[in-house]
Amino acid sequence: MPLIGTLEFSLRMRRGAYSLDAYSTVFSDIQFRSTFGFSMLMALFTIIFGMLLVVPTAYWVRLRLPQMRPVVEFITLMPLVIPAIVIVFGYLRLYNSSSWIPFTGSTQGTNMLLVFSYITLSLPYMYRSVDTAMRTIDVRTLTEAAEILGAKWPTILFRCIFPNVMSGVLSGAFITFAIVMGEFTMAALLNRPAFGPYLQLIGANRAYEPAALAVIAFAITWLSMGLLQLVSRFGKFAPSRP
Amino acid sequence: MSFLVLENIKKSFGATAVVKDFSMSIEKGEFVSFLGPSGCGKTTVLRMIAGFESPSDGTIVINGRNQNGLKTSQRNIGMVFQAYALFPNMTVADNVAFGLKVAGKPKEEIGARVNEMLKLISLEHLADRYPYQMSGGQQQRVALARALAPKPQVLLLDEPLSALDAKIRVSLREEIRQIQRQLGITTVFVTHDQEEALSISDRIVVMNAGRADQIGTPSQIYNRPATRFVASFVGTLNIIEAIVVDPAANSVRIGNSVVTLRDPIGTSKSGGPISIALRPEAGSMAADAKGDTTLAGKVISSHFLGSVIRTKFDVAGSQVSFDMFNSPDSPLPQPGETVTLRFLASDLLVVRE
Ligand SMILES: Nc1ncnc2c1ncn2[C@@H]1O[C@H](COP(=O)(O)OP(=O)(O)OP(=O)(O)O)[C@@H](O)[C@H]1O
Ligand SMILES: [Mg+2]
Repeated sequence: MPLIGTLEFSLRMRRGAYSLDAYSTVFSDIQFRSTFGFSMLMALFTIIFGMLLVVPTAYWVRLRLPQMRPVVEFITLMPLVIPAIVIVFGYLRLYNSSSWIPFTGSTQGTNMLLVFSYITLSLPYMYRSVDTAMRTIDVRTLTEAAEILGAKWPTILFRCIFPNVMSGVLSGAFITFAIVMGEFTMAALLNRPAFGPYLQLIGANRAYEPAALAVIAFAITWLSMGLLQLVSRFGKFAPSRP
Repeated sequence: MSFLVLENIKKSFGATAVVKDFSMSIEKGEFVSFLGPSGCGKTTVLRMIAGFESPSDGTIVINGRNQNGLKTSQRNIGMVFQAYALFPNMTVADNVAFGLKVAGKPKEEIGARVNEMLKLISLEHLADRYPYQMSGGQQQRVALARALAPKPQVLLLDEPLSALDAKIRVSLREEIRQIQRQLGITTVFVTHDQEEALSISDRIVVMNAGRADQIGTPSQIYNRPATRFVASFVGTLNIIEAIVVDPAANSVRIGNSVVTLRDPIGTSKSGGPISIALRPEAGSMAADAKGDTTLAGKVISSHFLGSVIRTKFDVAGSQVSFDMFNSPDSPLPQPGETVTLRFLASDLLVVRE
């Protein structure tokens, strides 16, 4: 109901008739395009670097350190417990221009820092989804089967393990995407032109456009969810179980 | 020198010794089964041959080459796992081709070899299926083909049949044995099913708590068990507790009768306890049965099983069970009845503890 109300409202920018004026205003807004593009890019980097970190870690933990699993899980949950604002201030202190790792000194550095923060934020979701996918295959036995057939580490990881946890990687990626697109605190405090702060800005100053943006944001979320469903249905490589 | 030699292998996980001084030699082309109860260390020995674990002590030599320090991927060994462990993202053909691909073989050679292997397991028509589209028995045959494709020096199978239902288990074990004979590949097969081990092996290693209790042909293991453990684990041998009378004359006392054994009693002292094993088909109740030894037994229970009658007796305090052929004229032994049992002295076996 609130959503239908919002949708209806967003279409009423022109007096007395329904129109897509609000949407065209939004889409023609340079700021919308640039912030949206920027956040997309950030999301992409977050997903790539996050997965390069998470997949081998989850694999290694399952294979060699099964007793460490609760610890690693706890670590990945930390970002949920510690508010984003604390993390940002932590980062700022650690990486400000006068410290010995001056990430905030340049735009590039700040972007990198932003990606790091996003990775930290989405870590719980990425790790969970990848780890769940790994649970459905017997990582250890598959690794041994590949090893005794003569395979080396890169082959095992990329040919035997990675394709079988693809569904987990993708669902983790979509969640990450949704998080990054909507994130406000980090981007605002690091003063980057991201989509989250833009949403906030529009919301404070305009009447009809925010409604249109809300609908767009919902559409993005739904699209991600839809793709997620598709992926999990598409994850056809059911594990071979005795 | 034998093809596969295990010499004084020991393995401990932390403080627990799982394999204690295990030695054996396996000839080229031989089919050897490791038989033993759960937790006796069968898988651990197999995993040391494969290189997944390294022995705490001892050496493993394959075809004259010491395997210590060789990685699993360098050993050229084929292995079939209990849980199949096919790669779920690859078709049957790709699974079989995997070992050849990582070895960098040319494409035509891989194709030819994969076809040959699929023919061997009669699954050519399923080459494009994914593992999840196949039954357990079919998956395990693919796993066998995958293991054999790179022409390994040794084939290891760790309870490959225990996840399958009884009927397929029997047909697949015969298929495995037939393929093994055809290729002449040296094979180690792990199982805890004595019938499985007895029916397909050239030799059996009966393992008990990290040691080999006895190594021998199925007939030796079944008919001449060396230890009480082997006797009770393999088949249904009866154990009778007896007292040594005269070690020099090989005579023992069972209840009130003194019996002279064929086997040497060994180091046991006069008056000491000794265990005697008896196969369930060794005894007879018929008065005209041949047998140079008699014992009195009290019937505990009796069951008609068609071709045989299985009767449980109390013989001098030990429970023994005999299968005797059914004859239409003789009535079932009744519980409480005391009868005379006849044996050949050569059927009474001395077993070590
Ligand atoms: N990695 C390990 N760490 C610690 N203990 C182990 C390890 N692997 C095996 N064990 C222990 O070693 C003993 C023997 O294990 P093993 O798997 O060899 O037995 P098994 O004969 O194959 O039994 P099963 O028939 O149940 O497969 C068991 O008590 C097991 O708990
Ligand atoms: Mg085992």
